[in-house]
Amino acid sequence: MTGLTADSLVLKRGGATLLDDLSLSLGATGSVAVIGPNGAGKSTLLKVLAGIEKPLSGIVRVGDRDLVSLSSATRARTVGFLPQYFDPHWDLTVQELVRLGAERSDHLTVDAVDKVIDTFELAGLGRRRWSTLSGGERARVLLATVLVVDPPVLLADEPAASLDIRHRLDVIETLTRRGVDRLSVVVVHDLDLAFRFFERVIVMDHGRIVADAPADALFDDPRLDAVFKVRFERLKTPDGPLLRATKDRP
Amino acid sequence: MHTWLALGLALVLAIVVGACAGHDWATPADLIRAALGDQALRSRLLVDWRIPRVLAAALVGGLLGLGGVVFQGVFRNPLAEPYLLGSAGGAALGATVALLVPLAMPQSILLPLLAFAGAWGATVLVIGISRVSGAVDAAGMLLAGVAVAAILGALRSFLMLALSDETVSLQVVLSWVLGGVQTPTWPVLGLLTLISAGCLGLTLLLAGRLDILGLGETMAVAFGLNVTRFIAIAVLAGSVVVAAAVAFGGLVAFVGLAAPHIARWMVGPLHRPLLPASALVGAIIVTLADAIARAALPPAEIPLGLVTAVAGGPFFIMLLARRLRT
Repeated sequence: MTGLTADSLVLKRGGATLLDDLSLSLGATGSVAVIGPNGAGKSTLLKVLAGIEKPLSGIVRVGDRDLVSLSSATRARTVGFLPQYFDPHWDLTVQELVRLGAERSDHLTVDAVDKVIDTFELAGLGRRRWSTLSGGERARVLLATVLVVDPPVLLADEPAASLDIRHRLDVIETLTRRGVDRLSVVVVHDLDLAFRFFERVIVMDHGRIVADAPADALFDDPRLDAVFKVRFERLKTPDGPLLRATKDRP
Repeated sequence: MHTWLALGLALVLAIVVGACAGHDWATPADLIRAALGDQALRSRLLVDWRIPRVLAAALVGGLLGLGGVVFQGVFRNPLAEPYLLGSAGGAALGATVALLVPLAMPQSILLPLLAFAGAWGATVLVIGISRVSGAVDAAGMLLAGVAVAAILGALRSFLMLALSDETVSLQVVLSWVLGGVQTPTWPVLGLLTLISAGCLGLTLLLAGRLDILGLGETMAVAFGLNVTRFIAIAVLAGSVVVAAAVAFGGLVAFVGLAAPHIARWMVGPLHRPLLPASALVGAIIVTLADAIARAALPPAEIPLGLVTAVAGGPFFIMLLARRLRT
């Protein structure tokens, strides 16, 4: 099974501590939201877990293997990474992008490409170039490109942050649905989406994990207010939990 | 398919035009007669001098087209060109030494050899400097390239001042720097053909990884590419290609910049089709430019680099403007 564990990760850059002795254990399945204020180290954590950045010290394990001992091809197939910003330099077509994603796996059939194009409703967009796509279309193409090899672990860095609410829901639902039989870790800025859709929520601040619990258990935790430096009014609606923030008077 | 046919036909046409052009114009019929083994002086001149020169021009252009694609792919910058990392300065220094320093080797061998060594050596030096200083990213490499180019340029100026005792030598050096395809013997042309085929194969090996690199460095790493190592490998390979072009054609301006752009408009940005397409476009441009260089001001010959810049510049701007409007 392909769980993901991190042991005492430390990462410093230019005098700033981005990850401060952070340890974490994630099972082979589940949908996990990572939340926290700006600069908490969420994106850095994701990049280290994906093997894109090297920690100063500490170990990331995929299953029972050290991430750095994996060949880069195996790593690329095992851990999928959705970046916060994606802007390919060359104006490729949708089909070309998905095929590049598929080349991470050497035994992928044409069927897999067709299937993912089907799943993300890209059939009509195949020959369109990236520059001509809307934000929602781009998000779908990026998902298709990363998910075409069906990686057991998916790390997503707020891929939906700039989308309108409809497309944001689409993306979040796609990501959490993967958590049923795979591991899906997503940095989420919209706290309501984090508590409504994800099974487990990890709260980060100053490069450390402040809280890590099932979403419904964490919802009432006062540490949320402390980390985000606001007062949350907690509303439970039939459609899910809602957080309304007000600034503390100084 | 249509695009490839058109490119192939255009190259054949360019070669025929190039072979006809000169201060003594030939007709296609003359070419056929010469190719069939006619022993008249005019036919022999065509076979021994003009046709090898035209084919060499095409190959040099093809090499520049390949080199341009590699450098634009590595630096992901539309303004990147093959001479970026010191190879022009290195080649010019090597050629200056070959032309001005009396060494115990015939100049016809020494000149391409030292030009090649200078071009490739300069790029290796740039990569070495950026590694030692820890600036292994594209920006660090570009800065190291600028510094190395400045140093090599100064060295060359010093050599030119110190070693030339008559103005003729200086003019020889200057005209080499401005580019010009040497007329090769048929065996040398065979060697150049082999080198060009090798360069095409070498760059095609990089194609898939250049595509991945084009997704941006973060995505490239996430897709399993060792970005730092690949950039060094690609630059070393690209500079071999450029050094080969320089050794046989001098410093031909502009083709390595323009050919990849034109080819991208025709076949798209994926590198597997782009590399051969850019080679074809480069070959067409240099073949035609070389024809102009030989035929425009008879009996003198205009340096090829001047022709490619003067004729190619406006043409490229026109294409760019048309592209931006659509």
